[in-house]
Amino acid sequence: MKKLLKIYLQKPELAGIVLLAVLIGLFQVRSQMIFLSAENIRGVLGVLPEVGLVAIGVTLLMICGEFDLSVGSVFALTPMSITLLMNAGVPFWLAFFIGLVVAACVGLANGLITLVFNIPSFITTLGMLFIVRSLTVVLSGGFPPNLPIERMPAQLFVSFIGPEGLFRASFLWFIAIGAAAAFLLSATNLGNWMKATGGFLEASISSGVPARRVKLFSFVLCSVLAGFAGMIQVLRLGAALPSIGDGLELQAVAAAVIGGTALSGGIGNVLGAVVGALLIRVIDNGLVLTQVDANWFKFAVGSLTIFAVVANAWMRRTARHLKVQL
Amino acid sequence: MARRFSTFQTRSKFAIAACITSTLFAASVARSAEPLNIVMLTHGAATNAFWQAVKKGFDDACTRVQAHCQMVFTQTDGSIEQQSANFQAAEARKPDAILTTIVDDNALTPMINDARAKHIIVIAYNVDQSGGAAGAAKRQAFIGQNFVPAGRSLAHQLTSQFPKDGPVRVLIGVSAPGQNWAEQRAKGVMEGLDEWKRANPTRTVVIDRIDSGTDLSVTGERVGAYLTAHPDTTAYFDMGFFHAAVARTLKDRNVPPGKVLLAGFDIVPQVLQMMKAGYIQAEVDQQPYAQGFMPVMQVYLAKSFGLAPTDINTGNSLVMPAQADSVIALSQQGLR
Repeated sequence: MKKLLKIYLQKPELAGIVLLAVLIGLFQVRSQMIFLSAENIRGVLGVLPEVGLVAIGVTLLMICGEFDLSVGSVFALTPMSITLLMNAGVPFWLAFFIGLVVAACVGLANGLITLVFNIPSFITTLGMLFIVRSLTVVLSGGFPPNLPIERMPAQLFVSFIGPEGLFRASFLWFIAIGAAAAFLLSATNLGNWMKATGGFLEASISSGVPARRVKLFSFVLCSVLAGFAGMIQVLRLGAALPSIGDGLELQAVAAAVIGGTALSGGIGNVLGAVVGALLIRVIDNGLVLTQVDANWFKFAVGSLTIFAVVANAWMRRTARHLKVQL
Repeated sequence: MARRFSTFQTRSKFAIAACITSTLFAASVARSAEPLNIVMLTHGAATNAFWQAVKKGFDDACTRVQAHCQMVFTQTDGSIEQQSANFQAAEARKPDAILTTIVDDNALTPMINDARAKHIIVIAYNVDQSGGAAGAAKRQAFIGQNFVPAGRSLAHQLTSQFPKDGPVRVLIGVSAPGQNWAEQRAKGVMEGLDEWKRANPTRTVVIDRIDSGTDLSVTGERVGAYLTAHPDTTAYFDMGFFHAAVARTLKDRNVPPGKVLLAGFDIVPQVLQMMKAGYIQAEVDQQPYAQGFMPVMQVYLAKSFGLAPTDINTGNSLVMPAQADSVIALSQQGLR
């Protein structure tokens, strides 16, 4: 029993799940059983894929030992590019492809600048955050362009599906991409290389791991996922605003850390990122349902986020000190 | 009808002022050897469509009077500390005029008074100090919306559409708690709702306030959660244009238009589209283009002819669904 508990507590994503369950229980009671109603679950799960996809990308990159703070800006640039291309007469799928290429180019630029000039990715991507956001405003001329929704296969991304229309199609994309990312991380050489690169860079290079290419790939993947998530949000909202995704980078990093990803790299997994993203959404949603006063709202979000990370760290520490007979 | 007439009057005033200014400019263009140097500061970020309409008005006016102009945004929407740093930088350039929003009563006051002491014209636009002309900052005029009356008139309009009997539940989304513009608009809405409550003493009225955020997705989700918890909600007031996302949430949930009444401030194409679809019942138009255009004209008049800058109320007028079509084209051009 003790052994099981130790194994369980050592898994950071599972510790996050416990916390999630506790919060869901708390909000369910405090909201007079509305939190778990179909309509509310539909609301939470409708937004989750957008934050979750960004969190997955950021988590993979953090496992590699790098950061990307420009994801929020790429989140806006990609759909803006797609919208403008479509308004210029380009068909959706081609515009969509070009939009993702634009996102990939931003990721590539982040990676190249970081690796070639040997500067912290925190700084590179902080600069890119401003550059890309500015480009988005310049491209749009400051005014949100008309979204040609009638020429977009929106139903493939945002239509309601499942029992009682509980999910949006974006949730399936999220599950599929999350599963692919989890497979990549746990069952492929590339996944092992990512962990090795972030865990102990010098040793991994000595062992023949192509660390630079692994990092470049992770930068590109992170940006592409952010761009894809931005496209989903724009289709959901029906508006391509240059301001979307502002502050999303912090949410994504918070989700990764809550899910057990180490800021120093080498440790983390996709399920943790998903749990972290879901935890943030649940906190936000639960506080509205429990009618937290407007002036205290950010205080409550901040406190619960810190509590989540502290509880997570405590659980892991407890697990380490737990003595079991093997 | 009276409101339309009032809107017409306001527009006419702008048109006349613009014509007079242009004529005066034509007559005196030879006189002004040095172009005017004007800096416009805001607490908003370039990503916010509202501020782009202000910038368009500012740029157009500067072109007309051939002034050297610069509009300075903040990197983060609502960042007062960045705005104060921008004010200091602008003042160091010794411009003829600084046009600024006053989101906080204290942060900019010493700088504004210092600039005035250096004979720089300072005009507040969009957001004024809470004390108005009697406040500590010696700005010379305020050009913008008077938030409290605007909130009140929005509440008057929407309460006139409340059901004739039964309990009423209203949600107020304070987009940015603690900031003058959001708090004062919310105050105005509350005052309007209180008047309605006093006029209808037998009705049960519940009014809630939430931090609804300044991002479409966040507002859509938070208000959506509230509506799930309170399906009996009668109306939602947003202090910005973010209720466009709430309208989309209602549409996604197949809630018929008008079941939850929606109203807010600021005209953007997304709001007008939802208004056309029947989900938004009223919107205050504060005419951001005029807020960018008119301060430049005031500076021009002050510098060229010594005319004192004067207050202009750019809008308590309401846009209703019947007017959405006519406004939408102007909004897309950044003129409304």
